[in-house]
Amino acid sequence: MSAVQLSRKEKMLVHCAPIREERVDDRALRTALHRARKTEAFAIQQDFDKAATALVQAIPIPQEITDWIPTDTFIAPTRRLWKKYAQNPALLATGIAVLVIAIIAVFQLVERMNRFPGEPSARRLLTTASSTHAMMLDPVKTDAGALGDFFFMKHRLVHYDVPPEFAELKTLGCRVFDDEEGQRVAQVWVVEKKMQFFLFPAERDPKTGKAREFSGWRTIEQERWAGVVKEQNGVCFMAALRGTAKDLAPYISKKKE
Amino acid sequence: MAEEKQNLLQLYRFCFLMLADAAKAQEVFHATLRDAAQQAADGEAPRDRLWFFRNARWRCLEKGEQGLQAEDVDLEQDELADWAPSQIEKLEPQQLAVWVSGAPDPQRTALALFYLDEFDYRDLLSVTELKPPELSKLLCDGRRQFQAWLDATFPSTQT
Repeated sequence: MSAVQLSRKEKMLVHCAPIREERVDDRALRTALHRARKTEAFAIQQDFDKAATALVQAIPIPQEITDWIPTDTFIAPTRRLWKKYAQNPALLATGIAVLVIAIIAVFQLVERMNRFPGEPSARRLLTTASSTHAMMLDPVKTDAGALGDFFFMKHRLVHYDVPPEFAELKTLGCRVFDDEEGQRVAQVWVVEKKMQFFLFPAERDPKTGKAREFSGWRTIEQERWAGVVKEQNGVCFMAALRGTAKDLAPYISKKKE
Repeated sequence: MAEEKQNLLQLYRFCFLMLADAAKAQEVFHATLRDAAQQAADGEAPRDRLWFFRNARWRCLEKGEQGLQAEDVDLEQDELADWAPSQIEKLEPQQLAVWVSGAPDPQRTALALFYLDEFDYRDLLSVTELKPPELSKLLCDGRRQFQAWLDATFPSTQT
């Protein structure tokens, strides 16, 4: 036997060690016993306890007692306590793992539901918005809704119209440029909240060449910038600002014709 | 049902260890079962087997107070010896019961329940209503005191 030094707590647990192994259902007790088995004192204690237990089991049971034991049970059916299961380390670990997987799955599902055709372009333009200065744009002071004709007349951009929800906002400037994929993008700077608008071609099906449509407004957020995107007539419109989607919600919630 | 029958046999042994008197143990056993039957009839059956032992414990303590009382003295303690099993084998169950029933409570309950080999650590704490260090000390002292008694009873076996 090696000279294993047990801590005070381990000694305390070892003194209460059940005689039978299957009665050990406590993790700390199991650990203490694992260490104690290397000691001679514990072996002596176990032999002592086994002998005493054998003597107790030899207590004769009178016939009256055997006869008196009822045939039906007095104990209420056991209810499975969730606490007991929750304390099981294996079940606890499995539960946590399942919970984490479920959270990730829900997160991905929500993210997927929020995706829309043209989202990658919209995200790129959100980055552009964050690095654009007003002076980079040609000064144009008018209503945003009036710029559709301007883009058509000057740049031959068809359906580059600002939706009615944002049409009344006053503009500071605008420009038209080609993005990384060579798409023509119109950018507008408005007075209100230093908001920026982007108009760009909707994503197209590579086989048919048709624009991939989607209905309503879609929201994206990226690095403290937020945008709301809408597709109409094969052109996407995005209003972007520094902030959150909540800042844009009042604009898209009002119905305008 | 077989398990419950086994539990009830152990309940009798518990009563016997607590009282060291077969007649009194039977009385407590019967009273406990009557109580359980009454509760079951009222639709409030005991929730677990520990109820029987808790109930019997208090009945045993009450019964024990009626007879001769053990003197409250500090018993001698010896280190557990590796020849203790051979000493214990020489005992009759009645002798062990006399020794256990002479211990002050809650040590008496702790020893009786522990040597039934029927309960895990948490069950013991629940029935004895002790804290882990208290239970540990009572069992540890109990073993050493019993060893001292064995050494006094069977002195020749030590050599």
